[in-house]
Amino acid sequence: MLAILLTVLFDGLAYGMLLFLISIGLSVTMGMMGFVNLAHGAFAMFGGYVATTLMQRAGVPFLVTLPVAFALVALASIVVERLLYQRLYRRGPLDQVLFTVGLTFMSVAGITWFYGPSQQPVVLPAFLQGQVSLFGLEVGIFRLFLVAVGLLVAAAVVLGVERTRFGAKIRAAVDNPVMATGLGINVGGVFALTFAIGSGLAGLGGALGIQILGLTPAFPLKYLVLFLIVVSVGGLGSVGGALLAACVVGVIDMMTKYFLPEIGSFIIYAVMVALLMWRPHGLLGKKS
Amino acid sequence: MSTAVSPAPAASAAGDTPLLRLEGVSAGYDRAVILEDINLTLAEGETLALLGRNGVGKSTLIATLMGATVLRGGRMQWRGGDLVAVPAHRRSAAGLGWVPQERWIFPSLTVRENLAVTARPGKWTLERVYELFPRLQEREDNMGTQLSGGEQQMLAIARALLLNPRLLLLDEPLEGLAPVVVEELVRAIGQMTLDRDLSFILVEQHARQALELTSKAVVMDRGRIIYDGASDTLLHNPDHLNQLMGFA
Repeated sequence: MLAILLTVLFDGLAYGMLLFLISIGLSVTMGMMGFVNLAHGAFAMFGGYVATTLMQRAGVPFLVTLPVAFALVALASIVVERLLYQRLYRRGPLDQVLFTVGLTFMSVAGITWFYGPSQQPVVLPAFLQGQVSLFGLEVGIFRLFLVAVGLLVAAAVVLGVERTRFGAKIRAAVDNPVMATGLGINVGGVFALTFAIGSGLAGLGGALGIQILGLTPAFPLKYLVLFLIVVSVGGLGSVGGALLAACVVGVIDMMTKYFLPEIGSFIIYAVMVALLMWRPHGLLGKKS
Repeated sequence: MSTAVSPAPAASAAGDTPLLRLEGVSAGYDRAVILEDINLTLAEGETLALLGRNGVGKSTLIATLMGATVLRGGRMQWRGGDLVAVPAHRRSAAGLGWVPQERWIFPSLTVRENLAVTARPGKWTLERVYELFPRLQEREDNMGTQLSGGEQQMLAIARALLLNPRLLLLDEPLEGLAPVVVEELVRAIGQMTLDRDLSFILVEQHARQALELTSKAVVMDRGRIIYDGASDTLLHNPDHLNQLMGFA
């Protein structure tokens, strides 16, 4: 029983890492830039389709598709941000919600038109298949890989925001865009690049998550609520909070699916409500 | 004694390109027009006291120079070029350093990060601003908002100096500070005046202190300039100063 519990716990952690990779960009966009981007899941879906298309039609190895998915989604997001989103930065949240929900439905329809409604298959390379013994516990190699990638990305994001000049510019631009502009920071450019990195990470998460999350045109709608739970429970704009919340959500979701499948959804939302009642600004969020 | 509003006085020397020239500038926020028909010239190395009561448009004029307002009309020239065409985020690179009235220290950044994040190469270095404000070095690892009001003001001035500006815009730097801190800041501003390459506009309600630190003065009332002349002239005529400031 303990072995099963630990295995499910580890699977939940791996699942949480995927949620973190996809949600961190949304947390940054909403928390730092104040923009409600409900189309964020579409960027993750786009990353997944980039990976499957490259693998199935061009025979590109899975590991190579990952940076390509990151880069292509990041580039596409710059176009979307410059052409569409920046017009909505000064509009109210309702306008932003309606606009980005509309974009989500358009992306779902567009992908259905190109690829059809069915699930996209993915074959992992042999070295990522199978299981390995870790401290006496049998864990999936791919899930171990997901945990490692998630932790590496979390460390890179934290170091990037806290230890680099670009990170300081992001924080300055978020603190006071007028003053940052007056001191020579191109706030629009900084936000566009930040948005692109966040979207690129969603694309990476989408590509990594094909096997575990599945990939159909409904992806952005199916997982949107989970991404929002991670962002709100973690605290807007908090990298550590998003990581913690993603792990909590991933583990609880996996546990309830395994042990209490009938009321799994109820429990995850009940936990969210309880956590937000306890800490309204999220686990590691700052009071605004 | 010059008392009348002077329409764009000539540069300090005939044929010299002024550092800054404003002609008929009108500006404000959203639909509200706050500045009307502002004419002003500042030569290289010149220092200007911008005086007036609360709400007459002094800070709006400074914000307009930084591109943070809506320009309704007029021309703004910077070293002979069109300042309006320079995007707001490039004005610091052009040579404008802004110390806003609110200080606007970045709360998520340490003191050192506040200074370094936008620093530009030049003769004002981190070491030099630490010499000017030693307290900042002592507190360089503190977050910006953990400083006292006076230390925050020092940080705001040091941050602007590290842009190595040609024109420093100091918006009420002495407001709300303890006398001992005011003394320290006045000493620092006095040291800055020794730098002949650095011009500054000092916005102040404490007229006498500002006039003592500057060569030229402008008094504003209801969004317009009502006096443009030498600081000494006003300093030695307190009745006229009080009249212009609306205290008489």
